[in-house]
This record gives sequence, structure tokens and C-alpha cells, in this order.
Amino acid sequence: MSMQRPIVWVHGDCLSPHHPGLAAYPGAPAIFVWDEELLTALRISLKRIVFIYECLLELPVTIRRGDVAAEVLAFAGEQRADGIVTSDSPAPRFRRIRERLETVLPVRVMSLEPFVRAPQRVDLARFSRYWQAIQAEALSDFSDNAL
Amino acid sequence: MPEDMRRDFADREDLIAYLAAQFPAAAAESAAVSATRGGRRAAEARLAAMRPAPYAATRNFLGGAVTRLSAYLRHGVLSLAEARRAALRAAPGPEEATKLINELAWRDYWQRVYAEIGEGVWEDREASKTGLSATDYAADLPADIATGTTGLACMDAFSHELVSDGYLHNHARMWLAAYIVHWRRVAWQAGARWFLSHLLDGDPASNNLSWQWVAGTFSHRPYIFNRENLERYSDGVYCRACPLRNTCPFDASYETLQARLFPHAPPLPAAPRRRR
Repeated sequence: MSMQRPIVWVHGDCLSPHHPGLAAYPGAPAIFVWDEELLTALRISLKRIVFIYECLLELPVTIRRGDVAAEVLAFAGEQRADGIVTSDSPAPRFRRIRERLETVLPVRVMSLEPFVRAPQRVDLARFSRYWQAIQAEALSDFSDNAL
Repeated sequence: MPEDMRRDFADREDLIAYLAAQFPAAAAESAAVSATRGGRRAAEARLAAMRPAPYAATRNFLGGAVTRLSAYLRHGVLSLAEARRAALRAAPGPEEATKLINELAWRDYWQRVYAEIGEGVWEDREASKTGLSATDYAADLPADIATGTTGLACMDAFSHELVSDGYLHNHARMWLAAYIVHWRRVAWQAGARWFLSHLLDGDPASNNLSWQWVAGTFSHRPYIFNRENLERYSDGVYCRACPLRNTCPFDASYETLQARLFPHAPPLPAAPRRRR
């Protein structure tokens, strides 16, 4: 799937200027949408909104509010985009929004740099087992001995 | 065409006034604003100030050399990989960075669990080890906890700090959570919702699963503390001025508290009580 004119959908799990979507498509129109339903359901207080807004002001994004999938698609329509690029998230809400977007436009979900390059399948029953599995990798500076 | 939200502000006050008007329900929840600023520049300043060896030695103390990176990590302003590399760079050797990286690993761990169980973070992962059943716990957070008027100087201070600043030291989170779940017998979900409403780093995975760790539904035993532990790691600041210092509900041995809080609990493994 190749996109010539994508937009970047920035969400609250990756508010870095080094966002993989912004990096892969420099200059592409980007949007962040305040999820009104989530703000209400979680009774998010003002200080959290201020913090996130300050993060957004350092990013080249248009800021809107409402129903996230509907607003992202409306923005994509305005920009005559042929696809949507975003960053991955484990949140089930992210998956549901992505699925709605995919009914209209192709969506490219970009991975974030992993914490460690450990096997993806590790025993998650207890932290101690997980830590045993990844400890050596976590303490090695792989930037110095790149593959 | 939908209206864009503003991006140009004279100063922080201007931004805050705009957002309070735009999100009146959030301002009604609490109009307080944190001293912690959002953004990559603020995050990088914190990253540069990271000191892995003092962190390892003092992190359990409220006044310890903690990193305050959590809100930036939660919103991906910084990645865990960046923080891990910064810790390795800032430490003389990997040993000095181990504790800090171990704590970063907790976040990676919770995120991996989240990817597997999704909304299951709101449900008990395992049966509780307290000998109590779900019906023994109140569904809602009592008002005196939410308003910081229990009379317990420590818990009231933590409540005020959470609501006014959106941050609590990890040890304070554990004490407050244990007080809510075990001393007050409130469902951990009520406490978790309260924290998510206020913590700048509020994340359903790290937050809820840590509450479950305290509750004993995602650990081998419930987490409790006593006055000696709290007094030591808070340098006694709360106990000295506490109106309830002579009737402190935490002033007992672990064995006594265990028997008092969990009278019907099955025998627990005699492992040393470790902190997360």
C-alpha cells in the first residue's frame, strides 16, 4: 500500500516531535483530536488537558475535538488524503478507532522503537519472570554495537 | 468545516483560561493546574537531570532523586528506549543503572500485559489473597478521601497533592492505594478511576495493574505498610503534625495489621515484603 498524500493522525500515546509518522512523511498535514467521550468517561481533570495541550503546541498539528474517527476522516477529506498514518498503541480504544478509519481509507500503523529487542513472546504472568527474560538486553547498550 | 482549536497563546495563563472555558466539565472536576509543564523541551530537561546511582539509593524516600519522567513516558513525549539509553549513558556502569532501568521495565511490562488483555485491566486478574470477597468492598470512593479530610495527615496530604499537582511519588501512591483498598475496604477500581482523573501520567495499564498489585489481585499477596515504614520514607513530616498521631491506624507490626485487615486470609507466603 503506497500513500502519496497521507495525513498523520497523532494520538495521546505518542506526542513526540520524533513521531514515526511525522518523521516518515515530513510536511504531511497532521491532526490531533480530543476524544470527548473518553474525557467524559474518565472525568479527566483540567491539569491533564493542560499538560497534553502543552505537548501538542510543540508539534505541527491541527487540534480539534469530538468523535476521533469522524474528525480524522473529515480532516483527511479536507486534505484530499489517500491514507492515514499513525503510531501504534496497545489501547483497545485505539484499535476500535483504527478499524473505523480503515473502512474509509488505508491506515499505516507505525511501530515505536521497542524498549528492548527481546523476544516478543515472554512470560507475562509475573514481572519477575519478564525481567529475567529481558534483563541482559535491557542493560546492554546496543547503540554502541549496532547490528 | 470544523473549527480548529487555538495554537497561539500569550502565556500559560492565557492557555489555561482558554482550556478551562473549552472544557468546563474538566475544570469542574478540578481547576488546578500542575507545575509540571508538557512538551519535549521539558521532558529533555528532566532526562538530562536523571541520576541513576542516587536514584537507586534514594528512590523509596519521598525526597529521593526520582526522575519525574512518568508523564512524558506515558504520553510518548519520550520513549522508554530513549530513557533507557539515557540511564546507561548517565551511569558509570550498567550496575548503577540497573534499578532505574528495572523501573522503566515495569512500564514496558504493563504495556505488554495491556496489549494482551485490553479492557481486562479493569477486572481482577486473579482471585484476591485477602480472604475477602468483592462484596466486602465499597463501590465508590468515600468523600473524605477525595477531599483530603480524613484527619490522617499523610493521606490528606497525598490526596491534596494528587488533585492539585497531578503527581504523587510512587511510594505515596502505594500507601494511599493500600489505605483505600485495605483499611477503608473500597474497590480498587474506584481508586484507580480517581487516580486516572488526576495523574498527569494516568495510564489504564500502569495505573490499574499497579492498583491490582496493591489489592492482591495481580500479586502473590496484598501490599500493606505500617507507620514505621511510612514515617521512615517520609522523614516523619506527616506524623509529627498529625492530629491522629496517638490513634494511628497504621501504628502496628505487619503481623498485627495483617491479622486485623485480613482476618479470614489463608496463610500467606512468608516472603519478605518487597516494594514495586
